[in-house]
Amino acid sequence: MHMTKWTILLSTFWLLLSGYFQPLLLAFGIASVIIVLFVLKRMDNVDQEKQEIGTGLRLMQYFPWLIWQVITSSLQVTKLIWGSTDKLSPSVAKINAKNIPPKRRALYANSITLTPGTLSVDLVDDEITVHALQKSSIEELKQEAMEKKITKIWGEHK
Amino acid sequence: MFVLDIITSILLIAGVFFGLSGALGLFKFPDFFTRVHAASITDSIAAILIISGLLLQTSFDLNTAKLLFILAFLMITSPTASHALAKSARHGGLLTLAEVKDKQQEQKH
Repeated sequence: MHMTKWTILLSTFWLLLSGYFQPLLLAFGIASVIIVLFVLKRMDNVDQEKQEIGTGLRLMQYFPWLIWQVITSSLQVTKLIWGSTDKLSPSVAKINAKNIPPKRRALYANSITLTPGTLSVDLVDDEITVHALQKSSIEELKQEAMEKKITKIWGEHK
Repeated sequence: MFVLDIITSILLIAGVFFGLSGALGLFKFPDFFTRVHAASITDSIAAILIISGLLLQTSFDLNTAKLLFILAFLMITSPTASHALAKSARHGGLLTLAEVKDKQQEQKH
């Protein structure tokens, strides 16, 4: 089942990227899919940690919200850039992420970095060190809007 | 198709504006960490706007899928790159602006 999923995913990916249907090129495509599957099988044995393919439904719920966050915070930073730099109040703080499932912490840290104005500098266990352009951004993060969004979609870590 | 062209040009111009803002911020901001913030504007919103502008010009075929792939990969790789930069700077001992000020005050006393 695991391998079938990967085969389907890789084949569709190849077809979408190439768009060729000549027999020779299709054969090359099939060959490359087989090579990748072979490597994947070996790597799974070494890794002991299979990379499951999700449906992406949860990401679909998360993505529009994230893009909205990116737009609003980009406007803030753009204002700072064109305005005077006196308004900058760079600060560093540690944000607690213990409510978020360990597998989603990278997503959380990446979302923090993706929204301009905040930058995740370090992720150790359940603490993320965040650097922000303005102190108010840290306050916003501490209100946990983003954390709540993630725990609402992916469930809470106990 | 005239309306789509207009929307595309608006999105592209907005994207270029944000790209330019990011570049300006890169020069204007005082230290390394704040500059990474400025660069992340170019990474995030400029990329989103320009690619969505280009999406409207495709006729919903393979090119649409390719552009969506580019957007998805950019959304994963660009924060990772910023994070790698900031993390290595921090572990290399680079201080933030606030910490530098603290240190200077300590030395004065």
